[in-house]
Amino acid sequence: MDYTDRCRRISNAFYNVGLEKARIRDLTGAAQCLKKSLHLDKYNTDARNLLGLIYYETGETAEALVQWVISSNLQPQGNRAIHYLTEIQGHPGLLEEEGVHIRKYNQAVQYAQTDNPDLAILQLLRVVEHKPNYIKAHMLLALLYIGREDYTKAGKSLYKVLQIDKNNPRASWYMSIAKSHTSRGEVEKRKLLTAFSHRQMEDDDVILPPTYKETTGWLTIIHIAVGLFMGAAVIFFLVMPAREKQLGETHNQELNQVLEQVSQRNMEIDRLEADKEALQTERDEAAAQLQTMLNENGGVLSQYQQLIAILQAYRADDFQTAVELYADLDASAIADEGTQVIVADIQRDMAANGYQVLEELGNRARDAGNPDLALEFYQKSLNINQENPQVLYDIAMIYQARGDEEQANQLFGQVIVNYPDSEAAGLAREARGY
Amino acid sequence: MIDFEQELERFKPSLEIDQVEDAVMNMDLTDMTDILMKMMEESQERKE
Repeated sequence: MDYTDRCRRISNAFYNVGLEKARIRDLTGAAQCLKKSLHLDKYNTDARNLLGLIYYETGETAEALVQWVISSNLQPQGNRAIHYLTEIQGHPGLLEEEGVHIRKYNQAVQYAQTDNPDLAILQLLRVVEHKPNYIKAHMLLALLYIGREDYTKAGKSLYKVLQIDKNNPRASWYMSIAKSHTSRGEVEKRKLLTAFSHRQMEDDDVILPPTYKETTGWLTIIHIAVGLFMGAAVIFFLVMPAREKQLGETHNQELNQVLEQVSQRNMEIDRLEADKEALQTERDEAAAQLQTMLNENGGVLSQYQQLIAILQAYRADDFQTAVELYADLDASAIADEGTQVIVADIQRDMAANGYQVLEELGNRARDAGNPDLALEFYQKSLNINQENPQVLYDIAMIYQARGDEEQANQLFGQVIVNYPDSEAAGLAREARGY
Repeated sequence: MIDFEQELERFKPSLEIDQVEDAVMNMDLTDMTDILMKMMEESQERKE
């Protein structure tokens, strides 16, 4: 066996040791073995690739790249390092980000070595936040905490280091110092003492858990009862109030929604009621107007019909009918200007000739023994011409015949006073007994 | 006990990403095999 083969075998042995150490996360020990392996045989690709992996795992990305690049150059074919490099190149932002964190670490080292520990700690905290496997950053952070006698925080950083690299000698040393300044060390010592204080176990020994106790049947029942009671109490005091509160809130929410809906409906109903009342009023007004138009006695339409009947009576030379119809005409209801001219002509004719006809009709009715009809005709005659003492006298006579002396005397007095020289005034005086 | 200043001096800046190329170029890859081969060559030359 020549020297080359021997070197290669020894190199391979160191690689195997390094691999075993890496598997149990003794990364520092593994790295040392792998470096020795590579000193013996630089072509040991597995050793170089594993060393790169260890660098990468401890946050030394640039060192890892160096090893993988050399490895891929020494063995361009069938080399796992090419896969690693391809993976990293597949994430372009990754290298840039790693570079930023490494620069921050280097800056922190500079701060720490130039009496700026506060700035260094701030910088390192940012670095480990984004790069939690960066062992060197954790180590420097721990050292700075130890320098400030903040051993608890130092211990936390060192704990992370030892999780990544279990046998890191410097981290273990820092950790022992940190523990010696905190209660953690005492606790671990006590655990160690109690752990090895028992006598050697024999075959007949039975391990009883410290919580084990002999229980009787009654004790079991009591335990169950206490458990049930405590369970019920928990439900009553913890679960039920929360549940009731939740149900109450849900109920209130639903109630508020319903009340809001009811309120909206009420508002809608009020609005519709108001609309209904307004429409009802409008309808009543329209109905009243229509009724006024259609009213037989005083309605506008009926007055126009009455006027047409009068004109027809004129055309038929039936003056008596025209006079009777005119007596019932309400001329004020006729608003049309053209028609008002016709009405005015009729009014003039009636004022000159119409009232006598009605008086005559009244006389006939009176003579025929129909005083009511006579009274009606007399009244219509007066409506056309109020200055007619004979008609007033005739009306008074009808009232006197009916026994209405007061009304009769009033009319007699009216004739005597207003028309003293008339024939009717003489008759009235006789009727009053003057 | 820790000598804080001495410990601090042990921390060196990490290799940065943009220094990888220089590091590869300047890496001394001489291994034990190279040294032995060189020693054997020198020994051979002396014999001659």
